[in-house]
Amino acid sequence: MIAALVVVPILAGLALYLVPRSAEHLAKWIAVAIAFGAFALAISQYGAPDESLRWLSRPFAANFHVGLGKGPSFWIVLLLTLSTGCALMVTRVPRARDFIAQMLVLLGAMTGVFIARDLLLFALFWDLMLIPVFITLVAWSPTKSNATAWKYLVYNLVGGLALLLATAAYGIVQGTTDVIGVDPKSLATISDTWALWICLGFGFAFFIKTPVWPLHTWMPDTYADLPAPMVAIVSAVQSKAGLYGFIVIGLALFPGVMHAIAPVAFVLGLIALVYGALAALVQDDIKRVVAYSSLSHLGLIILAIFSFSPIAIGGAVVYIVAHGLFSAGLFMTVGEIELREDTRLLSRLGGLGGRNPKLAGGLTIVALAALGLPGLCGFAGEILILTGLYRAGFVWQTVVALVPVVIAAAYMLRVFQGVMHGPEHDDLPEREDLSLLEGLALAPLVIAIVLLGINPGPVTHLDTFTRSVAAASAQSTLAILKK
Amino acid sequence: MNLAFAMTAASPALLSIWLLPLVGAIVIWTLGPQLRRNAGYLGSAFVLVSFALALANFGAAGNATGLRAPLVTWGPGFAFGLQLDALSLLWTLVITGVGGLIHIYSIGYMWTDRAIARFFAYLNFFVFSMLTLVLADNVVGLLVGWGLVGLASYFLIGFWFYKPTAVAAARKAFVINVFGDIGIMFAIFACYAATGSIAFSDIFAKAGTFSEPLVLAICIGLFIGAMAKSAQVPLHTWLPDAMEGPTPVSALIHAATMVTAGVYLIARFAPLWNLSPTAQEMVAVVGAITMVTGAILGMAQWDIKRILACSTMSQIGYMIMGVGVGAYQAGVLHFFTHAFFKAQLFLGAGLIIHALGDEQDVRKMGGLYRKMPFTFAAMLTGTLAIIGFPFFSGFYSKDAIIYEALEHGHPILFFAGALTAGITAYYMFRMLFVTFFGSYRGDVPDAMLAIAPPVPGAYAAHDDGHVEHAPTWLMQAPVAVLMVPTVIAGYLTIGGESSPWYRYFGTLFGHGGNVAGVPLAIPEWASTIFVLVLVTLGIVVAYLRYGNPPALIGAVDRLRGEALKMPPVLAHAFYVDALIATAIVRPANALGGAISRYVDPHVIDAGVRDVAWVAGMLGALFRALQTGLVRAYALTIVVGAACFIAYFAYLGTAR
Repeated sequence: MIAALVVVPILAGLALYLVPRSAEHLAKWIAVAIAFGAFALAISQYGAPDESLRWLSRPFAANFHVGLGKGPSFWIVLLLTLSTGCALMVTRVPRARDFIAQMLVLLGAMTGVFIARDLLLFALFWDLMLIPVFITLVAWSPTKSNATAWKYLVYNLVGGLALLLATAAYGIVQGTTDVIGVDPKSLATISDTWALWICLGFGFAFFIKTPVWPLHTWMPDTYADLPAPMVAIVSAVQSKAGLYGFIVIGLALFPGVMHAIAPVAFVLGLIALVYGALAALVQDDIKRVVAYSSLSHLGLIILAIFSFSPIAIGGAVVYIVAHGLFSAGLFMTVGEIELREDTRLLSRLGGLGGRNPKLAGGLTIVALAALGLPGLCGFAGEILILTGLYRAGFVWQTVVALVPVVIAAAYMLRVFQGVMHGPEHDDLPEREDLSLLEGLALAPLVIAIVLLGINPGPVTHLDTFTRSVAAASAQSTLAILKK
Repeated sequence: MNLAFAMTAASPALLSIWLLPLVGAIVIWTLGPQLRRNAGYLGSAFVLVSFALALANFGAAGNATGLRAPLVTWGPGFAFGLQLDALSLLWTLVITGVGGLIHIYSIGYMWTDRAIARFFAYLNFFVFSMLTLVLADNVVGLLVGWGLVGLASYFLIGFWFYKPTAVAAARKAFVINVFGDIGIMFAIFACYAATGSIAFSDIFAKAGTFSEPLVLAICIGLFIGAMAKSAQVPLHTWLPDAMEGPTPVSALIHAATMVTAGVYLIARFAPLWNLSPTAQEMVAVVGAITMVTGAILGMAQWDIKRILACSTMSQIGYMIMGVGVGAYQAGVLHFFTHAFFKAQLFLGAGLIIHALGDEQDVRKMGGLYRKMPFTFAAMLTGTLAIIGFPFFSGFYSKDAIIYEALEHGHPILFFAGALTAGITAYYMFRMLFVTFFGSYRGDVPDAMLAIAPPVPGAYAAHDDGHVEHAPTWLMQAPVAVLMVPTVIAGYLTIGGESSPWYRYFGTLFGHGGNVAGVPLAIPEWASTIFVLVLVTLGIVVAYLRYGNPPALIGAVDRLRGEALKMPPVLAHAFYVDALIATAIVRPANALGGAISRYVDPHVIDAGVRDVAWVAGMLGALFRALQTGLVRAYALTIVVGAACFIAYFAYLGTAR
């Protein structure tokens, strides 16, 4: 049943091309049903046993092994299916049928990344999830040039190549790649040199995907050019693949190397945190504000992971889900704004709040979650991460990480007030407020933002899998201390 | 975690007190368009029921542990709950009591505003947030309330969001308060790292084991939060701007309750502050600086609400100085009395503003006592209370703070407090004379009073149909009710250490600070007389400048001359805004601009392009592939992926 989470959306996406082009609504509702069906299925499979099929035995053992568990995989798949369903509900692009098909393939491929329990399978889905985004960038980009699409593809394929090579090397050295979520103690130890190079290969791919400064310049362009429904799920979920990889592969399999590269990762994370926030302060395009704010927020998660503190890592999972919820919400509301006013430039927008109170209300909540308002999900992640960082002894780093919290308030209010408040602009078209459907598409995200903010406890809950991660990193800390 | 607390069942009364205003906010928000003005009655009812419940539990809250209600647990040490003890009960009663009265007043004040339902939804949400702040039994819960009141304040300052000035003021208030939040966050991290818990009870139980620098660091973090929320220098600049909100909001949030949260925070953390004389000194000095600065700024304002805002700043300075020197009971008493008299002053000012069709400049008023005798009586009692006139409530609380500053060994703060009392008397009576005496100047042209013309593009008077009409009973009744505690609230402290006020708190604050042998000690009556002399002096100077018959006759010329001669340093409020803009806002924007216009495109991207260029083989390959046909690209990818899958499938079958 877990495998259906991957197989059904991909097959349905391809099959959607059989639906007549004109039957856009049919295609949309099929896709919405599949996304929410996957959401329900994932909930029903909470803690279900893994499913595995033999795939390769030469040159190393690899299995079609998928599992949800009770940890990060489960929560991220919920986030993915929910945000995809919501984004699909309000899809309004030219050639909608084809676009929706790409969305479904993307849904299946991304689910595959997060439920794969085999490194080779993980790498396969990792590359597969680039394809729909690339195709969309080429075929639905607002600009004639394909520069953004190529930038996206080249960056991510270079990362994907590193990932594939590292996977192959790991398979050859270890004899199997079916190791995600396995108790690290049951694995044969690999030599330090191999561990270093393999982990660097994974890490390089993860750093590009997240992205981490200075490998981030593909991201603002990509986010600006993708249609709103797809950028919502790419920023909500695809950008988490690298962070997820650091947790389930980096921390679990290469704790020693992770410790060794932690100082570098910390510096890069701190730079991303401040750099992204400052850049977000001056963007005119709202999508670029959100893109740079993502660079900043995801830098915080990098810090959490490389602090090896169980509280911070629990907080990182919360923040991964939280950031997914509010960035999906942000990009969806930005899509609604662009649809109404034909622009996303802050210099042109203003005064929408009076005519569009519902849209203003939706943007308020997602923007507040993004700026870390206490009581909403962004704050829950932040406070857990920073508490863990401080407790692990990173005191001045914690203080530096607090500064972007203030900047975030400034740039998020700049967006919110710039769009909604002030006098009405006469040169903007007057359009209707959110329709019932548009409201319903935002509602699940808003509810999740509030619920996760009130009680992130279940998401931080360390199941056997994440416990082994914590244990492994603790062990290697001991090992390093002994050296 | 303390087992006894975990086993205590949640108190339904406490949960109701806390949640009723939230229910009100949600109901009003959802049904807003249907409710219209009924939203006001509904919102008032939710808050007043909450008040009645709090009052009914007065006895239960006063005992050792108070009422408790555990809520959620995030993980080890992160347990959230509510507690109602003596300190939080006091705040709860003021929030819901004064808050309820201001709700009723607002029905009249917002009568003709189209968005009246939205206003009451926000107001109820504010009450809920403020209750979260004072009822939390842990420091993260307190921060949640702290952030939510900031949000409510943001919503209500920017309530008339079509006014650019209101929007800017709201953003400024929010961002400065988030800066305060990160101070509290730092304190949370330090407390958790030291105790493994966020609960007040656990932190205070282990406070004795903290090192001196740790206590100081936690106190500094908390105080940054207190400074932002309670408008202490130099984080005060948002408060005068916050007067852009509707006047009832100024009364409730920016005078009576939210801005005093810093006082609550310090009183709540008294067990920590008592451990660090350095931290106490810091708090007391910043409080004193704010007290004096607010009073000086108060002398230079023309907008009636800004006069009151500066006086609020100054009075909170008194409270902060009080709790800073360890005079917790006196500082909290000044919060209590101030909540009544300042709410009354603001509501009185609201009656004037409402009657004059949104005129707020005192230069355009004058002679109003004949037309508005009730309002005059309200403003006069409020003024007498705030300047510490004998037998009015402020007299007891302010005197206690000033004298205890001396008693705890701070003679300079004592003199600053006494001097500020004199200045307060001056500017408050200045306001009274200019507003209520002489002849009405509403029809005098602005130029004759040297009132600056509005900035081009600024929003002129709003169009929600405020027309000149007498205040209804809805607005007068709450003011009349407030007049009672404005006069008598201070009598609670008659009898010193054995008075009801001191017995109510008992040993809650522990032993506050260093009551050492003070060489300058004088008896309390001498201190009182000294202060009263300065207060009288302030009133006399105000009378000579604004109140005597020649001054009243030549008021127009005199006010114009004064406006033209205003020293720039006062007109620009000591340039603090300009300093923040130059030192922080502009550099941050410049850095952001440099990043997005220069570093990202021309350094990082260029670097990456160079790497690509060096990989010449790759480049050549791409050139060959760049046919420009989208279908060709897509096909390449699909074929590549197919080969990849086929290869591994082949390996799989050939095992």
